[in-house]
Amino acid sequence: MRQTKRRSIHIPGGTSILASLISIGIGLVFGLILLVILNTKAAGGAFVSLVTTGFRSSDKFAKVLYQAAPLIMTGLSVGFAFKTGLFNIGATGQYTVGAAFALIGAIQFQLPWYVCVLLSLIGGAFWGVFPGLFKALFNVNEVITSIMFNWIAMFAVNLTINNLPMMLAKYWGGAQMDRTANLAQANPSALIPRLGLDTLMHSNYMNISIFIAVIFALIAWVILSKTTFGYELKACGYNRNASLYAGINAKRNIVFSMVIAGAFAGVGGGLYFLAGTGQYTLLKQLLAAGFNGIPVALLATSNPIGTIFSAFFVSYIQVGGDAMQPDFVKEIIDIIISVIIYLAAFALLTRELLSRSKMHREEEAESVASADAPAEKEEVSQS
Amino acid sequence: MNDYVIEMLNITKEFPGIRANDDITLRLRRGEIHALLGENGAGKSTLMSVLFGLYQPEKGVIKKDGKIVRIKDPNDANALNIGMVHQHFKLVEVFTVLENIILGVEPQKMGFLEKKEARKRVVELSERYGLKIDPDAVIENISVGMQQRVEILKMLYRDNDILIFDEPTAVLTPQEIDELMHIMRSFAAEGKSILFITHKLNEIMAVADRCTVLRKGKCIGTVDVKDTDKTKLSRMMVGRDVEFVVSKDDARPEDTVLDVQNLTVPSKLHKNNAVKNVSFQVRAGEIVCLAGIEGNGQTEFVYALTGLERPSAGEITLKGEPIVRIAARREKQKASSLPKARTTLMPIRQRSKLGMSHIPEDRQKFGLVLDYTLEENLVLQRYWEPAFQKNGFIKKPAVRQYAEKLIKQYDIRSGQGPVTSARSMSGGNQQKAIVAREIDKNPDLLVAVQPTRGLDVGAIEYIHKQLVAARDNGKAVFLVSLELDEVMNVSDRILVMYEGEIVGEFDPKVTTVEELGLYMAGAKRQSAERTVH
Amino acid sequence: MSILADIFSATILFMIPLLLVALGGMFSERSGVVNIALEGIMIIGALCSCLFLRALDDSGFGPAHPQTAMFLAIVVAALTGAVFALLLAFASVNLKADQTIGGTALNMFAPAFAIVLTWAIQGQGQTTILIPTWSRITQETLGVAVKQNFWQAFLFKSFYQTTIWAVFLFVIAAVVLYKTRFGLRLRSCGEHPQAADSVGVNVYRMRYAGVFISGMLGGIGGLAYTLAAGSAFQSTVAGYGFLALAVMIFGNWKPLNILGASLFFALFKILSSYSGSIPFLPKFENIKASEYIYLMLPYIVTMIVLILTSKKSRAPKAEGIPYDKGRR
Repeated sequence: MRQTKRRSIHIPGGTSILASLISIGIGLVFGLILLVILNTKAAGGAFVSLVTTGFRSSDKFAKVLYQAAPLIMTGLSVGFAFKTGLFNIGATGQYTVGAAFALIGAIQFQLPWYVCVLLSLIGGAFWGVFPGLFKALFNVNEVITSIMFNWIAMFAVNLTINNLPMMLAKYWGGAQMDRTANLAQANPSALIPRLGLDTLMHSNYMNISIFIAVIFALIAWVILSKTTFGYELKACGYNRNASLYAGINAKRNIVFSMVIAGAFAGVGGGLYFLAGTGQYTLLKQLLAAGFNGIPVALLATSNPIGTIFSAFFVSYIQVGGDAMQPDFVKEIIDIIISVIIYLAAFALLTRELLSRSKMHREEEAESVASADAPAEKEEVSQS
Repeated sequence: MNDYVIEMLNITKEFPGIRANDDITLRLRRGEIHALLGENGAGKSTLMSVLFGLYQPEKGVIKKDGKIVRIKDPNDANALNIGMVHQHFKLVEVFTVLENIILGVEPQKMGFLEKKEARKRVVELSERYGLKIDPDAVIENISVGMQQRVEILKMLYRDNDILIFDEPTAVLTPQEIDELMHIMRSFAAEGKSILFITHKLNEIMAVADRCTVLRKGKCIGTVDVKDTDKTKLSRMMVGRDVEFVVSKDDARPEDTVLDVQNLTVPSKLHKNNAVKNVSFQVRAGEIVCLAGIEGNGQTEFVYALTGLERPSAGEITLKGEPIVRIAARREKQKASSLPKARTTLMPIRQRSKLGMSHIPEDRQKFGLVLDYTLEENLVLQRYWEPAFQKNGFIKKPAVRQYAEKLIKQYDIRSGQGPVTSARSMSGGNQQKAIVAREIDKNPDLLVAVQPTRGLDVGAIEYIHKQLVAARDNGKAVFLVSLELDEVMNVSDRILVMYEGEIVGEFDPKVTTVEELGLYMAGAKRQSAERTVH
Repeated sequence: MSILADIFSATILFMIPLLLVALGGMFSERSGVVNIALEGIMIIGALCSCLFLRALDDSGFGPAHPQTAMFLAIVVAALTGAVFALLLAFASVNLKADQTIGGTALNMFAPAFAIVLTWAIQGQGQTTILIPTWSRITQETLGVAVKQNFWQAFLFKSFYQTTIWAVFLFVIAAVVLYKTRFGLRLRSCGEHPQAADSVGVNVYRMRYAGVFISGMLGGIGGLAYTLAAGSAFQSTVAGYGFLALAVMIFGNWKPLNILGASLFFALFKILSSYSGSIPFLPKFENIKASEYIYLMLPYIVTMIVLILTSKKSRAPKAEGIPYDKGRR
């Protein structure tokens, strides 16, 4: 019961969009104030570039789309798990494993891009098995398992890539020791097709990954809202007792939900690194891209279609944040996003309280005969 | 000196749409044991919550020793030396007995706990009153009886002299009850005043000096126990004219649908069994009602029947198919190779497929996914049927059509029809939706647990009609109810459950509510070999 | 022998932040608030104390009175961590918001804020804050001369005031939790807030206190991590806050077990850095970059331990559930 209460973050359409927009508005105002405090003279210009850069030119817009694609995927990952009442803080690990699977397929095995995307999906799903399984079988909190497996993923991937000689840039004549090969050199057929969009938008960043991500968002939407499987998943997330009552196998659904969430994050990693514009660097740090899925999912209140827009928004202000340099450091964007999440945490709550008290009024107005009502009222408010 | 230590004068407490306490006056004498008797929902707990500062009354005053006092929260109550043993104990499970007793009034020096001193006092108190406890035992490891003694010691440690006991015997064994009665008498003997909430007549006769009876929020009267008897009290508690009658023909029972044999279910609240060796049958075309006062094992029985909980012994057969069969331990060892000795526990989904429907007691905890729409909730038990899905895809139009049919047929009212969020619906319509879903599944056995709880008269009547209609369609209906009116009106056969056992079987046409009341309160019981229809 | 001394001393060095932060998490969760924000709290504590150390270095006070300055820096770390943690307390106690989401927001805020502030104070592109060298306790600090031996290496290789304070704070934490009135009340709020409320304990205030203490310990832990990790603060604590969370669970929310768990984890972590020079460890000579195997090890072992102990693991019963005084 407690789980359901804490994690059910379902909000009907209208109010949720409004709540997100208000949070965004306050977050941006907060950002503006911060800019003024840091550097009053440059603040105005910087804020304008923050909010307009993404639309200012086609190549900037291409960058927004390019960054949005993996964000959509990690946002879907976090949001999908949320719908089942799970907090997938492990999107980073799943993203990393997905990226590794894709790159190994691309470089070591010289496979075409679509097979590599599929591999990234498998890799992420594989990494999602652990938190799901441990939760279902041993009741180990998925947050802790996810955190542990984020680190295990990063080290395991670094270990694997180091031991596959073809993987490193050095093998292909690159100078750097610490990153994977440049895909354009190692296997151009593994690059995600650009279909001429790059010339159209005047940007190397432009490829079809944004469309792939949108397709996955649609798939997530279909699963959640059109299938019996999604129906069961959401029932588990909203009210675990009721799902038990309806004969739904909650343990199996926990595992499936995390596997699918992992698959989404994995594809995110695949899309990003198969673009060919970034090389996987062997650092001892977790990739931030997975964590960014959390604000994306929260802003979208876990709605897959909403995730497309919230990922676009986050990507948009990140591009805007890059444009504020060198007057301002781009991490100001993260501050703005964190303020938005902090506010979103209340927005969810206010909405819940509103609808709850409304229901109470109706309920109590209706009950006439039974004096059990006060007792029942207590139960309701605690459930 | 004032005779009364506490006076609650003309207390009225309203909740939206309902008057839980209507102009109730209760006077507590110094050194008396004063019982507060009433059915479920009569307003006893509300009244005591007012006295303990959990609710503020709209009208009326409380006087302590003749002076008007305001009790805003439990701290105020404590300051007035009012203590309460709650029905659900307020004990920290992982703390020791001693820690629980001193929490909130810890003796300390510079912030450090002075447990030695506290322990001395607790041991002293426990010896003086014969409240056996182990101060270093951890709450979760001790019996419910001992937990209750801890709650009592909490009050004594705080020097409370007005002690409220909220249904203290509900979770105790008979021996423990005797012990408690003895302790209560010794408190009274030394001048403490006791308010004792109960609906068990034997206990009132055994221990109380006076008794105030509440019914539907109103005070029926205060009587001296020595001038009354169980029958009179029972009539005061339940005695009322039947409010409305469900017209129905005589039942024509046919084949046995549900057969329960020797079912035993362990309790989660205490170490005793909640359901003890229960056996009975329900046949097609009859409504069998399990009556009893709340907390006598009905909930656990239903959980075991519907698959939400695991029983520890016994067998349940539905339409000749075993859905529960717990292998006895001895048998298991002796003949583990025989398939007969194996434990069967049919999953909930299978039971549903076999023909069981369940209107759960708590509609919001189990019956509905509140964040789902009405139509999604209406298919909660059958979304997987070919009628509503194909290859794993939900057939939305079919669901919509079905929902509209049920909404019309069962008159479920909601803001936006099938797409209304269940959360935004009123309690009565939420319940109607569940009833519609469960009856329309066309079950062979309909398990309905308090199906009319908290509903208005119209909705109650409607749901009763549906239950009778299901019976007339040849279904077996198993109704669990706390409301005597409902029990008398709807059922064809009544089983009374008391402390986990079935203590009597009645025909509603020949029995009376007074008679039932005596059985429900444990004052009477039929012999073990009761007549079987 | 000197390797052994190095390993022990490094283990202690990395154990200290884990211990402090996990103890902090324990206070918060024992009061009923899930504190996933430990990572962010560490960063804020480290950021502010390192900036403070720099300022003292510039003013000349630091080099003149190094250990006094260091003590003040620890106080700064504790206070700033605690104030930052109050944001979590406000969200989860007053506004009854989802504690995990609130904590996630703080975790995102802290490193970004650290970078922004570092830039603002030190100028563009300056993302690291150097820690003054005088912060370490050496033989000279204490005015003793010890021979070059095991103990000398063990003690003075990397000895900071934070280590001494950690020992103190550990003892104080254990005593406060189990021996004081405050500790008893705090624990009751994490287990059964309704029971606590019914005997007059102010649940809101206790939860604020729990989160505040976790902020103090988290802040000091952030400084301790930065001292252990190198010569400068780089706007990150590399996931130590999350590790501390795992250590806390692994330690079953009990001080002594947390001490053991942090030692266990730190030892495995340090083994990886010394894996090459410890004779009895397998070298995996056919595998390149085999250090990653050892780097993975603490996480895998923790995971296995968590699974094995999952039956016994017992979180405070009411953690994560907002307490509403109106509903009893």
